[in-house]
Amino acid sequence: MSLSTLAASQWILARLMPPAQAEALIGDLLEERRLRLQAGSHVSVAGWYWRQLASSVPVLLWASMRRGAWLVSVVTAVASFIAAVGIMLVLQSALWPMTTSSFAHDVIMVLSFAAAAATCGCVAASIRLGAARLLAFLMFAAVCAEIATTQGGALWYKGLFLVLGPLATIAGAALSGRRRRVRL
Amino acid sequence: MPRGDFLGSLEQIVMLAVMRLGADAYGMTVRREIEERTGREISIGAVYATLERLEAKGYVSSFTGEPTAERGGRAKRHFEIEAAGHEALNASQNALKNMSEGLSRRWKRA
Repeated sequence: MSLSTLAASQWILARLMPPAQAEALIGDLLEERRLRLQAGSHVSVAGWYWRQLASSVPVLLWASMRRGAWLVSVVTAVASFIAAVGIMLVLQSALWPMTTSSFAHDVIMVLSFAAAAATCGCVAASIRLGAARLLAFLMFAAVCAEIATTQGGALWYKGLFLVLGPLATIAGAALSGRRRRVRL
Repeated sequence: MPRGDFLGSLEQIVMLAVMRLGADAYGMTVRREIEERTGREISIGAVYATLERLEAKGYVSSFTGEPTAERGGRAKRHFEIEAAGHEALNASQNALKNMSEGLSRRWKRA
């Protein structure tokens, strides 16, 4: 089993539990894996490890849903996404009539999109960091859907939105984290 | 323990394992103890989810130990049974004992 697959499995477990619990559980898995490696073959130990992981994930997922962590993150991310669309529309309708240049309209579109994504990313992260990550994914998925369903327009312009959505959301989330650290 | 709130079978098994292990009760040892004594393979995730539920009910408490090299520098999380846990376990075991009293002949016949 390579180090990267071990790290990937640990990353999955860490997403499903509070940090302190995840640390202890991953430590337990590593300790038992080490003990089993002294007595058994690499193949059988890898099989045991993946069986443990596969049977643990559904149980931990259910536990995290009972804890409410997932539900709060999903609701926050969806609400933030709706708010971002709202902010973008308000900004565009306020700035659009100020100019008739198509280039200026493109700039307004890009800036209002980035501002809305960053603001909502910041708010979502202040509630729950996982919500900001989910919001970044929603932004990416929404732009993909938009690109797939609309025809025309320059590819670079569409690509810009694809990159800018998640990036601005993460930047907003990072800003929220920095503000929290300063307050502490 | 509130009336009617009996422990589930996995909760009882996990608590009994914690009790057996005493000061050495942490995720890995609890999992191995259950597997050795019941012959039933159990996931580490199921052990932690059950312990989290028991801790939320106040039946079990936990504390973090020192990080060790064989665990990749990660600390152990030790568990111990609280007084309310002993009471809940007693009540559940007594209920089971009372319910099965006098039924051993029927079991043998089946």
